[in-house]
Amino acid sequence: MSVTTAPAPNNTAATPSGTYNDLEIWLSKLTNGTPLSESEVQQLCNKARETLTLEANVQPVAAPVTVCGDIHGQWHDLMELYRIGGSAPDTNYLFMGDYVDRGYYSVETVSLLVCLKVRYPERVHVLRGNHESRQITQVYGFYDECVRKYGSANVWKMFTDLFDYFPLTALVENQIFCLHGGLSPSVDALDHIRQLDRVQEVPHEGPMCDLLWSDPDDRAGWGISPRGAGFTFGQDVSEQFNARNGLTLVARAHQLVMEGYNWSHEKNVVTIFSAPNYCYRCGNQAAIMEVDERIEKTFLQFDPAPRRGEPHVNRRTPDYFL
Amino acid sequence: MRAKIPNMPSAAETDTIIRTPKPTDSVMNEMIMETAPSSTPVVIDGEEALRQIEHLRSDDLSLRISAARKLTTISAALGPDRTREELLPFLSDGVDDEDEVLEAIAASLGELIPFVGSTPEKNFSASLLGPLELLLAVEENTVREKAAESAIKVANSLNDEEYRSEFVGMIGRLATKEWFTARIAGCGLIPVAFGRMSNELQSSHLQYFANLCRDDAPMVRRIASRNLGALIYKVAEAMGPSSIADNGPISTTLLDLLELLAGGDQPDSVRLHTTENCVCFGNAMTLLKEKADPNSMDHNEESITTRSNALVKRILPLVVATIDDRSWRVRWTAASKFALVVKAFSSLNDSMDALVPAYEKLLQDPEAEVRTSATLNLAEVAKTGSKVYPVGWLNDDNMDCDDLDNRITIAERLVQRVMTLTEDDSENVRAALAMVATELAPLLGKDITISHLLPPMLLLLRDSTSEVRLNIISSLTLLNDVIGEELLCESLLPAILDLAEDGKWRIRMAVIERMPLLAKQLGKDFFNDKLLELCVGWLGDDISSIREAAAKNLKELTTLLGADWAIENLLPRVKAVMEHPSYLRRTNAVQGIVYMGSAMDVNTTQNEVLPILLEMACDTVPNVRFNVAKGLGVLGPSFNESVYESQITPILDLLNDDPDRDVRYFAGQTGDSLKGVFQKEQ
Repeated sequence: MSVTTAPAPNNTAATPSGTYNDLEIWLSKLTNGTPLSESEVQQLCNKARETLTLEANVQPVAAPVTVCGDIHGQWHDLMELYRIGGSAPDTNYLFMGDYVDRGYYSVETVSLLVCLKVRYPERVHVLRGNHESRQITQVYGFYDECVRKYGSANVWKMFTDLFDYFPLTALVENQIFCLHGGLSPSVDALDHIRQLDRVQEVPHEGPMCDLLWSDPDDRAGWGISPRGAGFTFGQDVSEQFNARNGLTLVARAHQLVMEGYNWSHEKNVVTIFSAPNYCYRCGNQAAIMEVDERIEKTFLQFDPAPRRGEPHVNRRTPDYFL
Repeated sequence: MRAKIPNMPSAAETDTIIRTPKPTDSVMNEMIMETAPSSTPVVIDGEEALRQIEHLRSDDLSLRISAARKLTTISAALGPDRTREELLPFLSDGVDDEDEVLEAIAASLGELIPFVGSTPEKNFSASLLGPLELLLAVEENTVREKAAESAIKVANSLNDEEYRSEFVGMIGRLATKEWFTARIAGCGLIPVAFGRMSNELQSSHLQYFANLCRDDAPMVRRIASRNLGALIYKVAEAMGPSSIADNGPISTTLLDLLELLAGGDQPDSVRLHTTENCVCFGNAMTLLKEKADPNSMDHNEESITTRSNALVKRILPLVVATIDDRSWRVRWTAASKFALVVKAFSSLNDSMDALVPAYEKLLQDPEAEVRTSATLNLAEVAKTGSKVYPVGWLNDDNMDCDDLDNRITIAERLVQRVMTLTEDDSENVRAALAMVATELAPLLGKDITISHLLPPMLLLLRDSTSEVRLNIISSLTLLNDVIGEELLCESLLPAILDLAEDGKWRIRMAVIERMPLLAKQLGKDFFNDKLLELCVGWLGDDISSIREAAAKNLKELTTLLGADWAIENLLPRVKAVMEHPSYLRRTNAVQGIVYMGSAMDVNTTQNEVLPILLEMACDTVPNVRFNVAKGLGVLGPSFNESVYESQITPILDLLNDDPDRDVRYFAGQTGDSLKGVFQKEQ
């Protein structure tokens, strides 16, 4: 398949309203926190593959758009994110990967995001994170959650097969380069990325791996990543990359930052992390970045959603049952 | 291990057992109707039953569990005789299986009542108690619970004689078994069965229960303690006023046990149930008073009251002692159940003079959790109608004169603690207070509310913790009703205005939700003066939910203060937001004027709102344009046809040719729905 060019999915006539019935029903189920059935996931993934196949490795995205980082299965906090940033389609969103693993609602989270992508392909963009992979999800929870909720690994297979089609990076108004991890020593120009064959499991090394795994660092140049995949890159690398590609900013996710966002490399790089109280215990704030039509950036920080049915008082229940 | 039961049907004998064609026969695949023992038609699926029997003996745990859940299917196929003679003994042999299997079997046994056979002469349900008795003695708690539920179901299907010999007999055996888990099961079942026991059985089982309360194993005493209250109530119910006669079981045995289990030498897990048991005791006394017979010498209301009051005097020290218990879990339990305690004893004279000071002590407990829990009960305790002495009134000088004039309501006494609680170190205590304190207002009346409750409420509105502020602002309505609008403006408004710009968005949200109410009470002038800028200002809030709520709020305000006012005051300000550089603000402004328009008469909407809305169809951002399309769908149907054709249709046509697919989609939706409306009219 060809992913080097970016044919925008453009229907010439207004789509007849009947077409979206399934998707609207699924969306209302998923916004209530009800997972789809296995056969619905199958249909959803088939539709999503058609949509995502058409997107580019460096998917062009128009401003205004709200850019978000890791979600990690924290479905309740994704709902809070919508309360803060507005709901789709009224607000345009770009998610930079890591929808699954760690949190307890990966199935609901990734189903909802994929469903929104299919329903509003021009309002919602989803990139691939390092957790959107067969290997990682078997270790960090998504696989187990699928087996627990569906009784088999079928749904995990459907989603991980679909992840291969997710775009790797996005480019907002030719200025802001968005991706999950960071830069790669084998990628100098965006055109290098456009030439990758992305439809595959995330490899252990090479440019596709680096884009999803690398981190910015205080040390200049390229360094060995403590994660065992990708590299660390210094301010000199970011500056050169931005200058060469006519960019103003690299926006990425991938790392927990306590304030929810963090500028680095003298505002050449920003890290955005959208899972508040990560893993339900890190105590961090989450953030999203609103990019308006003049490419002005505003960060909104938020805290975890109050859990449903719990009054605003912490009650410590004594341990009756020894 | 499953294979050791030789009599279980194998595939080869299926046809004779279930009297259906062979499995190979094509008829086998259909459902076969048979008359079940209960003579209600039950669908028997022979093949399914066979499969389940196999599964019951399988080595695969999950198969055994699922088969154990379907014992009714197996029984229906086996018929009543073989169920009793083969299936039940098989199940009894298998009580060493995994807990999950046993739990499923225990639950299923209760469903088998119609399948074990019953004739007018003989009811075989009691045969189910055999395996249940074994399950009631196993180690896993959840299995015993399910077995107890099923055993009670089975017992209820028995006549009195069988009930006593089989069910009550079984309880007696459990209560005296050597292994402690059986005795635990006995603790729970004695109260359940007490009502249907004969007199002799009642006294023997009371003795069993008393022994269980003195059991060597603390686990048994804990469960006995948990069930003591239920037993007291059941005894009062079954024996009536004679239960509290001088030689009645409550006066002699059960209160002794209550005192025993509340004793300081018991583990705290045993003492923990004292509060609840006292509640049950109070309820039992109330029940007895209701049962009083005015014509009886011993059982008229007066004699019952005298006797129950004497008993209450014994119980009250136990309740009060829980307040000072060394274990915080015991105090926490007392605090969380104190409203129930007060309710149970409310009809008994003088008890409040002991209970209310005890409650006040809980409000000052050293543990924050205990104070929180006690505080949450504040309003419920105060709602009790009885009167008490003011703090410090009871002293040596007036110890003996019980003058009702000097008494005050509990609410009046407790309100004096509220100020102290607003200064509590724990934010959870203050949050709990903020949640319930305003419920005191209707009890106190206007004057005392203003003098005593309002000042602490103002402090809570300015509390440093956001949850406290949120709780109090969400519960202000009650205060409002009591003190009236003028005072609300004077005293609360400054605090509310502070909260309107609170850093926590959920608090701003709570303030927005109160705006229509404030507008109604304050009137236009005051509103224009103080709140108008705020209400429109929220349309520019950073948080989307606040902007949406602000947009919806415009509709409420338009309805309350009138279309003319809205056009003069709201519209210019909303119009300004439509020129905001952020598409999100513009989108919310579009939604806002649509809300306003839906609350105006058609002409005003058409002249004032529609032109602005149509103008926004040319916005540079698609999200704004498709919200115009959606808005036209909301407002469109109220206009007349010429407006539809001359103004709306051209814009919809424009949007239908939009480069953005979502704009085209929503324009199409609106177009279709409006076409429907206007074609119908023609």
